[in-house]
Amino acid sequence: MKIMNYLALSIFVLLLLSGTALAHKVNLFAYVEAGEIYTESYFPDGSPVENGKVLVYDSSDNLLLKGMTDKKGLFNFAVPKVDDLIIVIEATMGHKNSFKLKKAEVEAGK
Amino acid sequence: MRAVISILSLVIISVMLLAVHPASAHFGTITPSDDIVTQDDAKILNVQIKFIHPMEMHYMEMVKPKQFGVVHDGKKTDLLGTLQGTKRKSLDQNKKFTFWTTDFKIRRPGDYTFYVEPTPYWEPAEDKFIVHYTKVCVNALGLEKGWDQPVGLETEIVPLTRPYGLWTGNLFTGQVLLKGRPVSFAEVEIEYLNESPGNINVVVPPADPYVTQLVKADANGVFSYAMPKSGWWGFAALNEADWKLKHDDRDKGVEIGAVYWVRTRDMK
Repeated sequence: MKIMNYLALSIFVLLLLSGTALAHKVNLFAYVEAGEIYTESYFPDGSPVENGKVLVYDSSDNLLLKGMTDKKGLFNFAVPKVDDLIIVIEATMGHKNSFKLKKAEVEAGK
Repeated sequence: MRAVISILSLVIISVMLLAVHPASAHFGTITPSDDIVTQDDAKILNVQIKFIHPMEMHYMEMVKPKQFGVVHDGKKTDLLGTLQGTKRKSLDQNKKFTFWTTDFKIRRPGDYTFYVEPTPYWEPAEDKFIVHYTKVCVNALGLEKGWDQPVGLETEIVPLTRPYGLWTGNLFTGQVLLKGRPVSFAEVEIEYLNESPGNINVVVPPADPYVTQLVKADANGVFSYAMPKSGWWGFAALNEADWKLKHDDRDKGVEIGAVYWVRTRDMK
């Protein structure tokens, strides 16, 4: 009986935690212009993700480069490779999201 | 066979209901192909602009709107030139009517509020013109910013409930503005869009008052309504304009409506 109570409590706590994570969901948006890839990282209300870690992977999951967002949540870099790029944003407390920049878009903006 | 008979009788009953009660609410309508655009979705939205009876699925002839655009990140973009006219009719209408459509490409995160100001519609049955300033909001790429801002139309509904990501049964709250000021005790008509995508059971109203729901706003022009079915819901706050328009050389009154559309989905 006691075990069941603990179980219920832990499920409840887990739900609470996952709820918090959702409410602070981070997002990353990226676009290519004149050979440069621009990323913007933000919370749903528009406030920037400061000092978030940005990781850029190619379509074979190789890490191409990494960097940090500035006070406005921005980080930009030269096109590292013409490929489908996965750009990951890691904020504090394990908030994480990714954005896929398609090869065609990378090529068009080169 | 029994199913066929019951469907037939439903059709007959609804036709009878319509025949007996031709008066139903007109609604300016804007419906986008999606109300939430994620990074995996196509970034092209199809937006349709109509003048209809949403519950009864009746179309009215719509000439090209006077104004059509979108507000994103506080900036207005005129989209009137992109509109294409096309025709459709409902099952029990005997001719086709014009409505307007466009494809819009989402380029950046944030809320996109589409707005339309139609050309005044002459309604002989009510001896007045009708102008419905109509809005809908589409969210893109996780940035929930902009939906609570007025566009600056002569009359408009400003949502107090975030107007996307709504479950069936949610309460929608909005404020009615006329020239930027709240309209005390405004009457707000509400209809379900029976043509909603994914609506498998066309709603047959059991009696006339079910067609158009009616709520009144409070002293601050704030109203609420809980939406009982998944699909698109239209909210129309109607006021009389303080200006007139000529019809056959006579001054006629103008009903100006502030209309807002939201979409609900079932929890499952």
